[in-house]
Amino acid sequence: MNKKIKKIPLIQKTSKTFLWIGLVLMLGSTVVLYYYLRVVLQAEVEEELRSTESRIEKSIEEGGMDYQLPPVAEVVKVDKLDMEILKDTLIYDPSQNELEEFRELSTFSSINGQNYRITVRALVVESENILLAVVLSYLAIILVVFIFLFYLNKSRNQKVWHPFFRNLEQMKSFSLTSETPIELMDSDILEFSELNDEMTTLTNKVRADYKNLKQYTEDVSHEMQTPLAIIQAKIENVINGEMLEDTQYEQLTSIQKDIQRLTQMTKRLTLLTKIENNQFLKKEKLDISRQLKKNIQDFSEISTISIDFEICESIWVDMDSFLAQVLCSNLISNAIKYSTGHKNILVNAQNGKVTIANAGEKAIRHPEMLYSRFYRESDGAKSTGLGLAIVKRICDLYGFTISYHFEAGMHHFTVSFIE
Amino acid sequence: MMKILIAEDEIELQNSIVTYLERDGNVCERASDYYEALYKIDLYEYDLLVLDINLITGNGLDILRVLKRNKSQTPVIIISANNSLDDKLEGLDLGADDYLTKPFHLAELNSRIRAVLRRGKFGGMERIEFNEISIDTNSRTAYVDNSPIVLTRKEYDLLLFFITNKGRVLSKEIIAEHLWGDHSDLADNFDFIYVHINNLRKKLTETGGKYIKTAYGSGYKFMED
Repeated sequence: MNKKIKKIPLIQKTSKTFLWIGLVLMLGSTVVLYYYLRVVLQAEVEEELRSTESRIEKSIEEGGMDYQLPPVAEVVKVDKLDMEILKDTLIYDPSQNELEEFRELSTFSSINGQNYRITVRALVVESENILLAVVLSYLAIILVVFIFLFYLNKSRNQKVWHPFFRNLEQMKSFSLTSETPIELMDSDILEFSELNDEMTTLTNKVRADYKNLKQYTEDVSHEMQTPLAIIQAKIENVINGEMLEDTQYEQLTSIQKDIQRLTQMTKRLTLLTKIENNQFLKKEKLDISRQLKKNIQDFSEISTISIDFEICESIWVDMDSFLAQVLCSNLISNAIKYSTGHKNILVNAQNGKVTIANAGEKAIRHPEMLYSRFYRESDGAKSTGLGLAIVKRICDLYGFTISYHFEAGMHHFTVSFIE
Repeated sequence: MMKILIAEDEIELQNSIVTYLERDGNVCERASDYYEALYKIDLYEYDLLVLDINLITGNGLDILRVLKRNKSQTPVIIISANNSLDDKLEGLDLGADDYLTKPFHLAELNSRIRAVLRRGKFGGMERIEFNEISIDTNSRTAYVDNSPIVLTRKEYDLLLFFITNKGRVLSKEIIAEHLWGDHSDLADNFDFIYVHINNLRKKLTETGGKYIKTAYGSGYKFMED
């Protein structure tokens, strides 16, 4: 059903239609005019021939002489009467000294007891010339009118559709995250005006929904902190209170672990919301490689997997320093979390690109899903499913690009800092 | 013995903090809303103020402003549900001594309180002593029987955390979070903590190492025999 249709701009489309219809009408009417005129002219010529013929007949009847005026008129005595003939014929015209096309009418009639064949002719060229002159002038006039109409129509269309095109541009540049509502150009065309109203209502609704959603995420994350703090504090007091069974202690520390997960999650959700809200406006020039070095040092204390910083060229970027730290830290921690078989993690910073590779069994099945919230390829409980979503948001914010590929048993994540 | 004011409107959290801190012999006063907190800091002198920013009836930062306007020397630790860098910076700019985001471990709060008090009272010169062990927090050096021992950064932090929370059960999770903050969730097991603690025990020698005890199989407790 969803066939790809070739898209043509509106004005071009209507102009094209106008052009085709105009062309067909023009040619069609010319052809019709040509044939119609020809028939009319032929009838005219025939009428003239008949009238000449009847005059000649009359003159013979009145005892006139043998009427000869070749090639225009010839009277020949014949033995018997025949059917009248009307045809075109080529006859040598001595006055023009060439063969000319004539329309020829031969009639047979018996006058005063004598049978005659009376032939009258008329030059076809004359009527052909008239025909040509009429058709050509018609064609010229209609062409001028057509060209005029074409441009008039085009400029009219452009004018009429102007509000539509302007509003279309407005809608294209409309961003959910921007605070300002969409501003549409008003028009005296009822449908456009209605369209504007609908668009305004719709975008306002979408903006309001989006804002509510953001607010909701923020509120939930925020409001969760205090109850979490209470649970956490109570558990600590229980652990430090009466003597517990080992299993009870295990249960309680396991709850602590879950609280920590929740905390991480809300922190990251809040961070995501903040990035989306454009709350990181501070920019400073910093070296990503240096940041990576710092992060790698931190991680090497926790992780048993070692990290090799193979190529370390400086990559200078203009961004918020906190976000730079989050970006590097999330990329490396992602590599640590999903690395298999204790193989080293490889980090390269070169030509404005950072590539982080960790060992893996097979390529990720849905790479396009990687950067969605809460998407996990495997169900490793370690992950909040937000790390890469945050990385992607940060990249989007500064116009960096992130890509994934699987090669030689390694997952590669590459961030290109060249805008 | 320290006199600490806990300005926190969540009574449950307030209770837990008080319970934890009083076990060390501190005296804790409570303030459950903005006005009570204002009233108490106006009336009494405290060694430290634990201040929640989002008090029901007002902003904790305003209390901080009042304190600083009155040239009070009372150190302040802010606890907040808001994890934003700006809030943190604003709080610290206004003169708060530390900033802790909810939820936090009480052991962490305790260790921050100790650090702030050390800085405030003794200009960071205090020597923390525990039997044969002593720590010079200024030069970040630990001594056992007055002979210095060489500790890595993490081992030093670990020792300080143990001593400031002596007699408390510290789970591996709490220790990991204290040492590595947000990154602690990366560790799939806490073997590396075991390694650090073992190293620390060895460096503290027989004499000092014996105080680090195992609790409930997987936790730790720093205490006398």
